[in-house]
Amino acid sequence: MADVTIPPVIHLRGLEKRFGIGDAEHSAIDHINLTIKKGEFVAIMGPSGCGKTTLLNILGLLDRSFDGDYELDGQSVDTISKRKQARIRSQQIGFVFQNFNLVPRLSVIENVALPLIYKGIIRTKRLKIASEILRNFHLNEREYYMPHQLSGGQTQRVAIARALVNEPSIILADEPTGNLDSRASHIIMEELSDLHKRGNTIIMVTHNPRLTTYASRVITMLDGRIDTDTKSHIAPQKNRRHKKPVRKTKRNKK
Amino acid sequence: MRFLLLNHAQNAYQSLRSSRVRSFLTMLGVTIGIASITAILALSSGASKIISDQISSVGGNIAVIRPGTTTDPIASITQSGLNRDYAASTLTEADITYITNITNVRSIAPLMVLSGTIKADSVAPINSPIVASTPSLADISNLQLREGQFLDNGINQNVVVVGSDLSVNVFGTESSIGRILSIHNQSFTVIGILKKLNDPMNYNSVDFDNTAIINFASGKKLNNNVAQIQQINVKTKPDTDLKATISDISKALVNSHAGEHDFSILTGEQIAKPTSQLFYAIAGGSTAIAAVSLIVGGIGIMNIMLVTVAERTREIGIRKALGASNSDISWQFLIESLAISLGGGISGYICGYILAFGISHFLTFDPAFSWEIVAIALTISVVMGTLFGLYPAMRAARKDPIESLYQV
Repeated sequence: MADVTIPPVIHLRGLEKRFGIGDAEHSAIDHINLTIKKGEFVAIMGPSGCGKTTLLNILGLLDRSFDGDYELDGQSVDTISKRKQARIRSQQIGFVFQNFNLVPRLSVIENVALPLIYKGIIRTKRLKIASEILRNFHLNEREYYMPHQLSGGQTQRVAIARALVNEPSIILADEPTGNLDSRASHIIMEELSDLHKRGNTIIMVTHNPRLTTYASRVITMLDGRIDTDTKSHIAPQKNRRHKKPVRKTKRNKK
Repeated sequence: MRFLLLNHAQNAYQSLRSSRVRSFLTMLGVTIGIASITAILALSSGASKIISDQISSVGGNIAVIRPGTTTDPIASITQSGLNRDYAASTLTEADITYITNITNVRSIAPLMVLSGTIKADSVAPINSPIVASTPSLADISNLQLREGQFLDNGINQNVVVVGSDLSVNVFGTESSIGRILSIHNQSFTVIGILKKLNDPMNYNSVDFDNTAIINFASGKKLNNNVAQIQQINVKTKPDTDLKATISDISKALVNSHAGEHDFSILTGEQIAKPTSQLFYAIAGGSTAIAAVSLIVGGIGIMNIMLVTVAERTREIGIRKALGASNSDISWQFLIESLAISLGGGISGYICGYILAFGISHFLTFDPAFSWEIVAIALTISVVMGTLFGLYPAMRAARKDPIESLYQV
């Protein structure tokens, strides 16, 4: 019963995200109920346009315009101020993007040190921390390379190093191996699964079914809904406090 | 915030360096504006300094009385100090007597500037002034003689003291003692020649190098027996309170003018304000040009910052995803635009002085350095950087992180 006393890291109730207005309106996310506990490695699968990335953006507090409830560490996101949300992004959430998203005009070490700026750490200390983390990724020889001088695999490892430099509890990865060959993908996935073993919560969006073997839980999405879930926590929690009837409950079972 | 400011400054330095040509061109706009403002201020304060130096060199205990009430400093700048060509002066001969009787006044020199032809062997240039005054003018205005003697109460004939340039102009030589000079078709004997002063700008508004100085009585005679006094210079005794003396003078004059306060008494800095209209016309014109170039420079900053923001949309998205708040982002861009304008301001300040020294080659005075000019140059550039950087910075901060991140 541990998961009753400790609030889940992420708890979604009736989450809905719509785009467009009037006739053109469609739901990218259609009433999703989802609970993710600390230390889970969740892989989210599904075809393009099913709302995976939208979901990830909402989880990462980048997208604030949605309906429904999102509780992060037991606190409703609606009640958190913008500034506070930025601080949460800075201290608790690490992002890994498909297209790496390094800042092209900054060197590798400066890219890795970037999140530390917003934690208010002074420059020399930032670079020291960044250098240490790059050593863990065997990239310490590339510290002063520019991003365009790196291979795809190296770039993504830099991006992961950057996501980890703040020691976040949640790591959100949007197709982290999207553009990489299988060998580079394997290295990246080993890194992620290593992080998972150290107790981090990882939520990864992917196209590749082979990568789901690293995950402890696999969710497939279809048309903005959760289609299958290898381990569902929703049913019991929904009964605890239900504000509105939740549709598609049967879809979440399996 | 705390450390972020320093960090933003480093970031701005890096980003400006990475697009050197662009940053340089943008700064150039600010540089030109600040340079012209600095040059104008340096030259005009140099001009004022020359006059205030003249006053302090004679002890600093000098007051100047002028007709009319131009106590407003702006008006005394825009109007020429001596309305010698038009209005009748409100200062009278009687005033001179009143002032002379005041306890702490050491000497007094009324100044009556006449226009008329000066000629001897040849005719003097049209702008050569004729000044009628008293012997104490030499003491008050620190005039020194190269040859001969200054006016003297003992000499009642028509005598004249000439400036060295005037002497050369009409006699063809600097040594013209004893020769006859014709003013208003009256003959005057040259009894003294002034040392070359080479400062056409002084608080008498008279270029003594080109002047013929005659006795006050002779001047009155030339002017149909009317004393048309444009200025009275008063020197007080050393180590007396100048302010108290001025209020004594003021009381005495109000009394003699039947209660009318139709004169102004200037001291120190007030006298030092250059009275040349031409100078201020030039300064005003170049200030307007400088203002226009500053506005254009500012628009340039805004333009470049908008381009930078657009170019870095993705970086903004990344930074937001990594924990930057909106204010972090806007500070980043605001400080970058501040860096441009400050850089332009500093280089403009330096160029301004180079320009001012270049121009001063053709003038009789040097530009002056003062902390006010530094403060003005820096303030203008900071204000510009903020003003024109604010909109791009706010635009950057308002960008939606998701759209920014997935922008190709």
